[in-house]
Amino acid sequence: MADRDEQSRLIQSHPEAVLVSARLPLRANLTVLENVAVVLQFRRGADAQQALGSATDLLERVGLGHCSGWRDPDLGHEERFLAKLLRAVALAPPIILIDRPGRQLPDTHYPPFLDAKLSALEDRFAQCWIVDYEWNAPLYPRRG
Amino acid sequence: MSTRQELSHPRPSSSLDRLSPAWLETGRFAAAALAGALSPGSYNSATREVIQKQIYFTAWEVLPSFIAVVAFMSAVLIQIVGETARSFNLYGYALELVIRILVLEILPLTTALLVAVRTGAAINTEVALMKIHNELEALELVGVDPLRFELVPRVIGGTVAVLSLTALGSIIALGLAHLIIIDLQPWSLPPGDFTRAIGKVFSVSAMLILWCKTLAFGLAVTIIPIAEGLQTPKRLSFAPVAVRRGMVRLFLALMLIEVAALAVTYVI
Repeated sequence: MADRDEQSRLIQSHPEAVLVSARLPLRANLTVLENVAVVLQFRRGADAQQALGSATDLLERVGLGHCSGWRDPDLGHEERFLAKLLRAVALAPPIILIDRPGRQLPDTHYPPFLDAKLSALEDRFAQCWIVDYEWNAPLYPRRG
Repeated sequence: MSTRQELSHPRPSSSLDRLSPAWLETGRFAAAALAGALSPGSYNSATREVIQKQIYFTAWEVLPSFIAVVAFMSAVLIQIVGETARSFNLYGYALELVIRILVLEILPLTTALLVAVRTGAAINTEVALMKIHNELEALELVGVDPLRFELVPRVIGGTVAVLSLTALGSIIALGLAHLIIIDLQPWSLPPGDFTRAIGKVFSVSAMLILWCKTLAFGLAVTIIPIAEGLQTPKRLSFAPVAVRRGMVRLFLALMLIEVAALAVTYVI
């Protein structure tokens, strides 16, 4: 599914879902760590130290600790995708919706990559929906 | 499709058509920003951090060069006014004239213009790029209100910076006025004249007009660039257009505020 309207309908029918998409970039003037922490500061009312601490934990869980101080232009595709994923799971939403991972991870064999990273964050969301083209369906075996 | 066509080939429109919606949008954003600034719910650790950064970049970072520019400009103007007054045998009025011209009129406007070209242009560019790259939408979708997180703190920080820089500039100018007109020429005016001149110029109404004007300058140098940035169509080629429009409108607004303050002080 690549149609923008179809995607919008899906998001509107599930307002609890948080989207990870190529068209929703990180905040360019904030570091990776700050991009994740700001969600906790706003939605949980956490103070800066608490939010940065929780964000650091999340970054380390997916092996992104080395680039916590980097900004968007310094990141590779995988690092940028993971930063967006962490920003989405920071509040432990019921559903995360990954929009066309192939577009966000052009140089990566993404099914095993996604599987590994989502497993590392399994306690942070109830369901993960991956929106992709129909011809990519065989790439996604059902997760147990 | 129609939007795309409009962006590629904008329809011809009158100046009024082009200007009115822009000012209307600025007014709407100003109302939203002021409501946000006055709402205690707008403040959290993230917004406080953005306010601090804005004050740092607008006032603290520029402080040494600001002090140097204000001191140099004030010294030159004080010397010119002093010499001119002396040549007309009106040296007794030089101090009052300097305080009125420099502290009440020139310094607040110069400070606002300085902040406008330095910070206003940067804010305009940043907000336009945030809009073009969907960063505001992205923040909203993860539950971070862009108005509270990115925009209102910039308005507060920028306004505080303009007020602080104007106050500092005024103190520097008053100090230099004392030094040049009284201390360096003690035979011309007794020191008590300085206190009397300050008491005469800084009446309650003059102070009220001065700080209302400075507050308006502070709000203008942040609100107009942000509002213009928010109106940028989502195309990178529109970013320089948005900054140019924002700067021109900001300049007009600053001049309008200055003229209105002059009218209130000297005409009404």
